[in-house]
Amino acid sequence: MKTSSFPLIHNRKAMVGALIVAFILAVAIAAPLLTSYDPSARVGRPHQAPSLEHWLGTTRIGQDVFARLVYGARTSLAVGFGAGLLITIVGTALGIIAGYRGGKIDEIISFFTNMVLVVPNLPLLLVLAAFIGQASPWVIALILGCTSWAWGARVTRAETLSVKQKDYVKSAEMMGEPRWRIMTFEIFPNLISIVGINFIGSVIFAIITQATLEFLGLGDPKVVSWGTMLYAAQKASALSVGAWWDILTPCFALAFLGIGLSLLNFAVDEIANPRLRTGNRLGRWSALIRSGEGRL
Amino acid sequence: MTAPLLSVKNLTIDYIGETNDFRAVDNVSFDVAPGEVFGLAGESGCGKSTIAFAISRLHKPPALIRKHSAILLDGRNVLDLDQKDLADFRWREVAMVFQSAMNSLNPVLRIEQQFYDVLRTHKRITRAQARDRTAEMLRLVDISPDRMRDYPHQFSGGMRQRIVIAICLALDPRLIVMDEPTTALDVVVQREILQRINELRRKLGFAVLFITHDLGLMVQFCDRIGIMLGGKLVEQGTADAIYRTPEHDYTKKLWASFPSLHGGVLR
Amino acid sequence: MAFLLRRLCFYLAAFVAAATINFFLPRLMPGDPVQIMFSSAGAELPPESLQALKLTFGFVDGPLWQQYLTYLGSIFSGDLGRSIKYFPLPVTTVLGNALVWTVGLMGTATIVSFALGTFLGILAAWRRGSLFDVIVSVGAIFATSVPAVVTSLIVVFTFGFTLGWFPTGYSADPALDPAFTFEYLGSVLYHGILPMLTLCAVLTGGFAVTMRNNMINLLGEDYIVMARAKGLSDTRVMLWYAARNALLPTVSSLAIAIGTVLGGSLVTEVVFNYPGLGNILYQAILARDYPVIQGQLLIMTATMLIANFVVDVSYVLLDPRLKRA
Ligand SMILES: Nc1ncnc2c1ncn2[C@@H]1O[C@H](COP(=O)(O)OP(=O)(O)OP(=O)(O)O)[C@@H](O)[C@H]1O
Ligand SMILES: [Mg+2]
Repeated sequence: MKTSSFPLIHNRKAMVGALIVAFILAVAIAAPLLTSYDPSARVGRPHQAPSLEHWLGTTRIGQDVFARLVYGARTSLAVGFGAGLLITIVGTALGIIAGYRGGKIDEIISFFTNMVLVVPNLPLLLVLAAFIGQASPWVIALILGCTSWAWGARVTRAETLSVKQKDYVKSAEMMGEPRWRIMTFEIFPNLISIVGINFIGSVIFAIITQATLEFLGLGDPKVVSWGTMLYAAQKASALSVGAWWDILTPCFALAFLGIGLSLLNFAVDEIANPRLRTGNRLGRWSALIRSGEGRL
Repeated sequence: MTAPLLSVKNLTIDYIGETNDFRAVDNVSFDVAPGEVFGLAGESGCGKSTIAFAISRLHKPPALIRKHSAILLDGRNVLDLDQKDLADFRWREVAMVFQSAMNSLNPVLRIEQQFYDVLRTHKRITRAQARDRTAEMLRLVDISPDRMRDYPHQFSGGMRQRIVIAICLALDPRLIVMDEPTTALDVVVQREILQRINELRRKLGFAVLFITHDLGLMVQFCDRIGIMLGGKLVEQGTADAIYRTPEHDYTKKLWASFPSLHGGVLR
Repeated sequence: MAFLLRRLCFYLAAFVAAATINFFLPRLMPGDPVQIMFSSAGAELPPESLQALKLTFGFVDGPLWQQYLTYLGSIFSGDLGRSIKYFPLPVTTVLGNALVWTVGLMGTATIVSFALGTFLGILAAWRRGSLFDVIVSVGAIFATSVPAVVTSLIVVFTFGFTLGWFPTGYSADPALDPAFTFEYLGSVLYHGILPMLTLCAVLTGGFAVTMRNNMINLLGEDYIVMARAKGLSDTRVMLWYAARNALLPTVSSLAIAIGTVLGGSLVTEVVFNYPGLGNILYQAILARDYPVIQGQLLIMTATMLIANFVVDVSYVLLDPRLKRA
């Protein structure tokens, strides 16, 4: 079988997902070039429908929705990737340590992991955010990082347990390499696909959760992000007054980004777990059956 | 020679890949007479299990049985059976013990249920009759019938193996395919099970297609032997001939690498 | 049995952990914790009531551990304090009324979407690579990657505001008196169906993917091949050999999924203005009603733990290897 060093390139799901994410990233970076409006300033009459002047209409207080959309992408992406990275680092580190060290350390880490897993995440975040007050995006990223690592830690630990038994780890132990070296240079590289899945999953989770917290009014309303756009629109009863552009814009943006990231996630999953792959060998097989070259 | 029970003719099987195919079985032909034990030996990956799967037509994509292949059981080509006939044919004519028979029992169903599944599918039978039949089969392999309500994990590896053999016997099949039935077991249990199979075979008259890479075991147990190399059947003959006067270089090499035989012949 | 007992102890510990977070949060914030907790009350709170509230939340003169024990004591005697927004209603009453709606909504949605998702996952895995499989897999990607807020908003916009097929608020027609009448129950159903379907749309995809992947990982097992060799019918092999075994890991992942279910239902309730916990909580957040916000963490945790325990029990029932012993 042909294997490529860049398996993601040959995966259609991965390509589509990467294109979507790259597109949103480009929009976020190029925000000042795409619009001349200030996303926070009042630049028009309230709740104007989309027009040439305001491509996606205006909000209740007359801000340009398109400007908020492209600038908001910056916040949502930054928080998503920042928090995702934090979640992954904490989860991977704890998982590897627990799995590799075993014994008491494993017991303690696993106990906490399981505990965090059974305390419902969103309600916990709500309490934390409520006490912090109007949480800035960075504070949200930070508390997400502190509370959402458990799933990653559990999966990484399980995987570490099996990698630990491999010969190269055993031989490194024989040669007396220090533990931290074994964990970073022998074990971690073999967990890359799990870490990748964990990272993308965490980014999705962080983006969704940040938007949810802000929607529920726990964010800083002065910040421009897709979540605060939802919050402001909901508070202005955009739906019941018929200002659909105000609320559907961030909705579709979030859905689009979510789908892009999920496609990437599924693709990485398929690469890590070959059994889930279908690939085009099935097509060749069916063609041979149809042409009567063989049967089952 | 009597008419063969199983006759494999020009069997060729490919595993279809993304760009090119892998030929796992290459133009293999052999016969198995009624009541005979035919052995297939060869190194790991030479295609033995692929042949075994083909006999009950268990392959799934990407496996492909090439045209001009034929597997005749009593003169009927198994590859031509339609879905319904195939379902009837399976287990009633050919039963099978898998490479890791330890794992071939469904962990969440009671032993009784796994017998009943077979009996119910192939026969008009009541629960009570099925239970009697199950008890009878379990007794044949020395397992107490009152354990039929247990789950697989409650038995040892060797016991599970014997249960699978008992399930194989439930319908009085003509042929039992055994794909390395004893690899997972220790030597003592291995001998015990093979002896038991041999007794049952004498009593019930089924033929066995016996697959292993353990030549020593094979010579003790089989009437005739086929040697496989890289998907091809390179040599076949009686066990004695293969043991005393191997012709193919590969067979000789196999013997050379094999320590001299201990223990009597099982036959 | 020992297994379940151990789980129970663990859940108790988890509950205490949630309470501990509640206890320390206001004390860790800069400023006076009493001031933070009850600031939203302004000057309206009668002094005796404030005193009682302080006692409930462990603000007593004494060392920290004594305060902590006081707080745990009031929680385990069922006293979660009083809501400030709805003063003088106790938090348990406010949340208890809402909990009925939430559990109803969440429970139905979980059962429906778990059954449907599992079923779709089984079929997709069995017909691996077919058009059906592609539709289920891609559909699941879309459904799971769209945040619950977004799905809810789009659904309420389409079916509530634009088409006007379903109501956009309340759990029943407010003009009707709650009673076991045909009319009232019908109204409850009519109001509940859209939020319920929305939650199902959010959840089904995840269950389908989990089941599909678990099935596919099992299909190569020897007992599946042996079941086919036995000549059993396709449905029998699919359901009793493959799906029945794939259900085990699926059920254990259900425990983790319950967190998602809870989060999803909170958000859906806010969007649909449904009087469940989510909505109460939304109001509490806007009003900075901390006793209610803290109380919901405890109630939610308890709900989650009970749901987890139900999952544990069903796991034990499903896996003969865990029974007895
Ligand atoms: N699903 C598959 N896809 C591609 N190639 C396969 C597949 N299954 C088996 N093969 C290849 O076919 C060849 C024959 O496999 P088979 O299982 O028949 O070997 P075997 O002789 O039974 O070996 P062993 O003694 O180890 O059981 C092997 O080289 C294997 O790599
Ligand atoms: Mg094999």
